[in-house]
Amino acid sequence: MIEQDSIATTRFSRSAALVGSGAKVGANYLKYYARRVLSLGADEQALHEENAEEVFRTFSRLKGGPLKLAQMLSIDRDLLPPAYARQFAQAHYSAPPLSYPLVIRTFRREFGCEPQGIFSAFSRQAAHSASIGQVHRAVKDGKEFAVKVQYPGVADSLRSDLRVIKPIALQILGLRQQDVEDYFQEVETRLIEETNYALELQRSIELSRSSSHLEHVRFPVYYPRFSSARILTMDWVAGVPLDRFADSSTSAAARDRIGQSLWNFYSHQIHSLKVFHADPHPGNFLVKDDELWVLDFGCTKTITDDFHRKQFAFLDPNLVASPARLEAAMEDLDFLLPGDGPAERQKMIALFERSVELLARPFREGYCDFGESTLMSEIYEMGEENRRDETLRTLRGRRGSADSIYVNRAYFGLYSLLSRLRARVEVSLPDWLTAGAREFSATGAG
Amino acid sequence: MEPIERITASFTEHLREHGRYPESVYLFCQGLGIEEKAFFSEFGSFEAVEAGLWEDLVSRVILAVESGAEWTSFSARQRLLTFHFAFLEEALSWRSLMLSRFGATGPFARPAWMRGFEARFKAFASGIVAKGVESGEIADRGRLTPLYPEALYFHLRSVIDFYLKDDSKRFERTDAFVEKSAAVAFDVIRTQALDSAVDLARFLVPRPHACKG
Repeated sequence: MIEQDSIATTRFSRSAALVGSGAKVGANYLKYYARRVLSLGADEQALHEENAEEVFRTFSRLKGGPLKLAQMLSIDRDLLPPAYARQFAQAHYSAPPLSYPLVIRTFRREFGCEPQGIFSAFSRQAAHSASIGQVHRAVKDGKEFAVKVQYPGVADSLRSDLRVIKPIALQILGLRQQDVEDYFQEVETRLIEETNYALELQRSIELSRSSSHLEHVRFPVYYPRFSSARILTMDWVAGVPLDRFADSSTSAAARDRIGQSLWNFYSHQIHSLKVFHADPHPGNFLVKDDELWVLDFGCTKTITDDFHRKQFAFLDPNLVASPARLEAAMEDLDFLLPGDGPAERQKMIALFERSVELLARPFREGYCDFGESTLMSEIYEMGEENRRDETLRTLRGRRGSADSIYVNRAYFGLYSLLSRLRARVEVSLPDWLTAGAREFSATGAG
Repeated sequence: MEPIERITASFTEHLREHGRYPESVYLFCQGLGIEEKAFFSEFGSFEAVEAGLWEDLVSRVILAVESGAEWTSFSARQRLLTFHFAFLEEALSWRSLMLSRFGATGPFARPAWMRGFEARFKAFASGIVAKGVESGEIADRGRLTPLYPEALYFHLRSVIDFYLKDDSKRFERTDAFVEKSAAVAFDVIRTQALDSAVDLARFLVPRPHACKG
């Protein structure tokens, strides 16, 4: 891979690059309309493909914020036309590396010596790259390490990137700024957190410790003495990325086992720890010796007990059956706003029932065979319909809690990974919910 | 301490504190307790003392990077980047003085006190260019090739300029600027861009008979 020494640096040039992309997207639309007027058979799909490529090129050149956002959007596939999602999914692997002298410089600044001062061997080329850093392979005392080095100035330029990218993202998604302000706020907070390797180190250690009892789920050891604000060192795990594992000719039993481990890992985090790995893209999971290795706790989300109770009230099988309770729960989560008229309420409730039916289906049925199930395609379909739904777009007000974003992202990412794995997983309702459901059926209220 | 070192040290201190040269060589020597003759046997002027100061700085950086363990295995581009990062590291101890001296002159100005700095860097840059031509990273363009060190010197001046205006934390934006601009510099001297530019320039320069008007 050709090393990229050209992160667009100044605010001006970054903005210019983004505006350039916006302009080209605009130009592609003009071409589309021109073709349609001339009845040359322009199809919307081709237009999306062209635009997606353009936007992706710009985003990946800018690294940092835009690339992260692109990754996020690729996970929230229901937000995006499929062509964009496909292009953006590449973002996981294709950010070019930074030059070796800059890696040395970072080491000197952080540890006062070159990589060779700490490790007996250190790869000049990045083994792979992440959106805000790149990973080098190192050896010390015969042991292999993965050393993640952060790009310079990433934290610094992230905020301005998001400012610039926001209107473009809003335009692509067809959303109103005031309605999604919370969303951007939340995303910005998480992204800024991700540039803090000291925090990531601490969380990695805590989360891997509190999940260490899970069967077939493994974590690399992290090394505080070889880590700093810009450098993070952990064990090198010679595993296969989850997507490659899923696409390989491995047995169904092996895929089911990895899928189940993944499911258990997320259940444990979300329902017991209430802190979770919120970046479930395939590059963050490796498979080695039939075990699931979890990497990269850069993006984690903590939820409160209160929010958890509200959010997962929807898993209660009795909820959908009881309109009064469903509406109360929706009000609780701000999906229904006090100012809503009857038509708006109706619209939201219908939408909600449908999403709950879809997203909670595995819980209701007690298992899900992601290889057979049409769950994912139904979710995409719903997303696409919602995206096209004009009345939905014109619904005023902020809906839902910003805290939901990463819960949804985690579940959506999890479902995507399981679909990719074509795994059959056993699903059990969290204990507190089954207790509540029994109590509820016993009293017969509703 | 040798007289030459005492002169340099005391002069540097004065320049750092006052941002300008001492009033006269005579007064300066009085303060140092040496004879004027001793000063002039080493330097012809304050400019010459300052020239030595900046030349020493760039020499130190060059020596440091060239004696690095991996230097010989680096490509031309990696060598240039390594120099810049080491230079910026050293510049941290000289930022205030650089602000008052380099900051006050434009990137194209060539005051007498900067000549040693320029000459030393260009000699170093010639080595990088030679290495680049040998490895194919830089296209050899015959009589144009000697101009490359010149171009790399302007690149260095623009990095200094950027650094002095940078107010980001730990000057990380300058790091990114170095990466980005070095990429551009190498793109220009590797590809046909320069040839095309020269071709265009030759086309635009008025021909002798056209000037007669």
